[in-house]
Amino acid sequence: MSIRVNPDLRNELIQFGIGDWNACYHCGTCTAICPLSEEGFLFPRKKIRLMQMGLQGPLESSVEPWLCYYCGDCTKTCPRDANPGELMMSLRRYLTSTYDWTGLSKKFYTSKIWELAWILFFAALVIISFLVILPSFGYKFTTELTAEGGVKLNSFAPIPIIEAFDWIMAIIVATLLISNILRMYYKIIWKNSTTKVSLWVHIREFWLLIFNFAVQPKFSKCDDKRYWGAHWFLMSGYTIMFIVIVVFLPWFQTEKILPVWDPQRWLGYYATFGLLFGLVIAIFGRLKKKDIKFRFSHVSDWLFLVMLTLTVITGIFIHIFRINGMPMATYVSYITHMAVLVPMILIEVPFSKWSHLAYRPFAVYFTQLKKNAVLK
Amino acid sequence: MDHKDSIGVFFFDLMGTVNDPINYSELAKYTLGFQQVLQAWHYSDFPWNEETIRKKIETNDLSKIIVAGALPGTVKTLFSKAMSMAGKNPSSVILVSFNEYGIWSDKEIERAKALLICAIRDIPYEIAAMPGDAPVNPATMIIGGGISGIQAALEIANGNTLVYLIEKTGTIGGKMATFDKTFPTLDCAACILTPKMVEVNQHPNIRLMSYCEVREVTGDAGNFTVKLLQKARKVNVTTCIGCGTCAEKCPATAPSEFDSGTTMRKAIYMPFPQAVPNKYLIDAESCIYLKTGKCRACVKACPVPDCINLDEPDKEVLIKVGNIIVATGYKTFDAARMEQYGYGKYPNVLAALEFERLLNASGPTGGNIHYRTQDKKGNWIFSTEAEKPEKLAIIHCVGSRDKNYNKYCSRVCCMYSLKFAHLILDKLPEAEVFEYFIDMRSFGKGYEEFYERIKEEGVSIIRGKTAKVEAKNGKLLIRGEDILRSELIENIVDMVILSTGLEPGEDTKKISEMLGIPTSDGGWLEEANYNTDPTGTFRGGIMLAGTCQGPKDIPDSVAQGSAAAARVIQNILRGRVTKDISGLTLEEIENHINEISPIQV
Repeated sequence: MSIRVNPDLRNELIQFGIGDWNACYHCGTCTAICPLSEEGFLFPRKKIRLMQMGLQGPLESSVEPWLCYYCGDCTKTCPRDANPGELMMSLRRYLTSTYDWTGLSKKFYTSKIWELAWILFFAALVIISFLVILPSFGYKFTTELTAEGGVKLNSFAPIPIIEAFDWIMAIIVATLLISNILRMYYKIIWKNSTTKVSLWVHIREFWLLIFNFAVQPKFSKCDDKRYWGAHWFLMSGYTIMFIVIVVFLPWFQTEKILPVWDPQRWLGYYATFGLLFGLVIAIFGRLKKKDIKFRFSHVSDWLFLVMLTLTVITGIFIHIFRINGMPMATYVSYITHMAVLVPMILIEVPFSKWSHLAYRPFAVYFTQLKKNAVLK
Repeated sequence: MDHKDSIGVFFFDLMGTVNDPINYSELAKYTLGFQQVLQAWHYSDFPWNEETIRKKIETNDLSKIIVAGALPGTVKTLFSKAMSMAGKNPSSVILVSFNEYGIWSDKEIERAKALLICAIRDIPYEIAAMPGDAPVNPATMIIGGGISGIQAALEIANGNTLVYLIEKTGTIGGKMATFDKTFPTLDCAACILTPKMVEVNQHPNIRLMSYCEVREVTGDAGNFTVKLLQKARKVNVTTCIGCGTCAEKCPATAPSEFDSGTTMRKAIYMPFPQAVPNKYLIDAESCIYLKTGKCRACVKACPVPDCINLDEPDKEVLIKVGNIIVATGYKTFDAARMEQYGYGKYPNVLAALEFERLLNASGPTGGNIHYRTQDKKGNWIFSTEAEKPEKLAIIHCVGSRDKNYNKYCSRVCCMYSLKFAHLILDKLPEAEVFEYFIDMRSFGKGYEEFYERIKEEGVSIIRGKTAKVEAKNGKLLIRGEDILRSELIENIVDMVILSTGLEPGEDTKKISEMLGIPTSDGGWLEEANYNTDPTGTFRGGIMLAGTCQGPKDIPDSVAQGSAAAARVIQNILRGRVTKDISGLTLEEIENHINEISPIQV
């Protein structure tokens, strides 16, 4: 069997992150210091080796980058300043771009202009829909208030239309993401002749996927467990928000001003607080650059944080303005909210940083499948 | 000289100004003082083209152009073209590069003038600025009494000239005296070294000054005046008979420097039994009398009257020497800085020099390898009552080849680690020994053969530096990656030895400032030329020997000691010593130029 070597691999990878990876002299410190590296799935050194040798095929079919949660111990102890932690991060970006069959992901990761243009394009579509298309169907701004003194949001943004739009978007994103996961499965398990796994094993180990999606137990094995806590808080807040908006929109987007103890309100508050908490830690971390995991920020990292923060803040504004009976302010916040949220979901989830919500738990699942294959 | 020479000088300054900009008008004034120079121009930006320069050449009828500035090479073609456009010789454009000669600010203006006069008078600066020489005082000072210093001292003294050997500690011998065996010949280090030490002590031409520090060096090549601080030993070196009664009675203890802290010594002590001079001394920091004013147990015990004088003060000594050899040596890397290896936290993680003492027959366990255990008071000590380890791991490159600590290779660790492996198997034939390395550097005569021999002895030599050492069930767990087999290593061993690298000795910085010798990367003293003059320095009459210049093993240190001695003997035989280049004044250079090519009127 022949293996194709890509001598330009390092130059391709450097577009996805920064690091003096060719400096590595293979002492193995990074692999040994890593709390997550285990027999059969050793990283980061082996990945650096593949990168240095230009073995693109084996690198693209490796699952290990997804098993790294970037505690930074490898970069801290590296005697060559080769920055193995950032290589793993860059590989995650690179792998995201190889799983994506549209080729958009690579464009978004390697070109700031391309990514910004698409974000602005989707934002413009949203704004035009609210300002031109919806009013032409009779859904107009109204300064009338409800009997309780709240804003009549539903006559401006009618629930059936928004809900239908939510579902369309969810289906598009899910289709893209699932097709990418299938490609990931093909690269990691199917194509690999040494890993033949029975269907029963696939079913037996499936619980791992759900468990890892919900709890991220691997992340908690990294030395600093506070980040796992913050991430989990953010993740749970986001998941609640997502379910509530897509599935229970009529219940969530009300004109009534519900009492504070109503589950609709405190679920919203929990989710908002969780998101804000996680965001503040990530933003301050990336600004201070004290921890190694936050030291090297790619454009995609910042875009994601900025867009999510804007979404959360405009969401809070909608809530405040609505219950205080400020119609125009509510409408402006709502349009801004959607103008940030829609491009964020459409670009980040299937093509960019946010796709890790699927790849990470699937990677743990695939790892378990591979282990089963090895055991036979 | 062509008396028709008519020179135009162009100054230009593209580098922008520094804090202390070069005073170009003064330089211009200086050049205009020569009759050949017709005109000088100074531009700070770059408005020139061939045409404007050509006009200047034609109007002033210049036959030669000097371009002086930070990087004159960048504009040479411009001037050459202008010269040929004006019908002159385009090769008569002389460059004076300030950067190349280290001229950055107005402080170096004298050197700039010297370069300009050389350009005007057509004499290469290297010839004009040839340092002169001075008569030499035949006495030599050697700083540092390790193996390099001892070797150099004996070489020079055997040539029948006077040597002052200055040693900071109470005994000469240096680090080599603490070693058990040398690699690759496995000679007993003490057996080679101690005869030389004794020879130094008994040599009629060597003035051994132990417990003594260099404080100030003044004067120039051939005639240095050195101020020494003779620290008070508080024991009379001539009358002390070395009986040891004082130490028996002394109640104060401190960790032994010679044993790398593995044993305790008294406040009045002899560094080790074969110390030279073989006399006792008092460590002022741990002596109870010097701290509280009470005790004097040693004075009462001493059988020689007036031998111990606890109130003896330090004194200054002045000596005059013609040459200096610096042989200040190294210190080992402090393994506690790499927390992941647990040195200082786990008692059975040892630094290389500690293990060296453990192997040594004069060490804490008489050369047997035992665990470090707690005594009744709870102190961690080596004792022959403790059990012997069965699995030992040696970790290479601790503090070396690591950008977080020292990026250089310390050169000796691979070989001494292999030596350790051999000596462990020699003493504990049943033991398992693991060596964790990144790259095996067994350069040199007989070294690779030594490596092959160790491999055959059944040592597990594993490629992959380990990442950390942890405690597990009272033993030590080593975590690493076996690079060649792509496996994770989790090895439980009894004892871990860290092959700590070399660093410049504590006083290297001080010596470098005192003598005006720069340090190179890593803090080692800088030699005059890495390839062709590794023992010389930029200062005339000052030579380097041994590890103060860079990490090296014993044979190389000895060779460099001899080489430095040869340089000194050369100066003494010639009777004159070459002065420093940096010491030359403008006037001297001018006179030199006038000597070489007198002005014809």
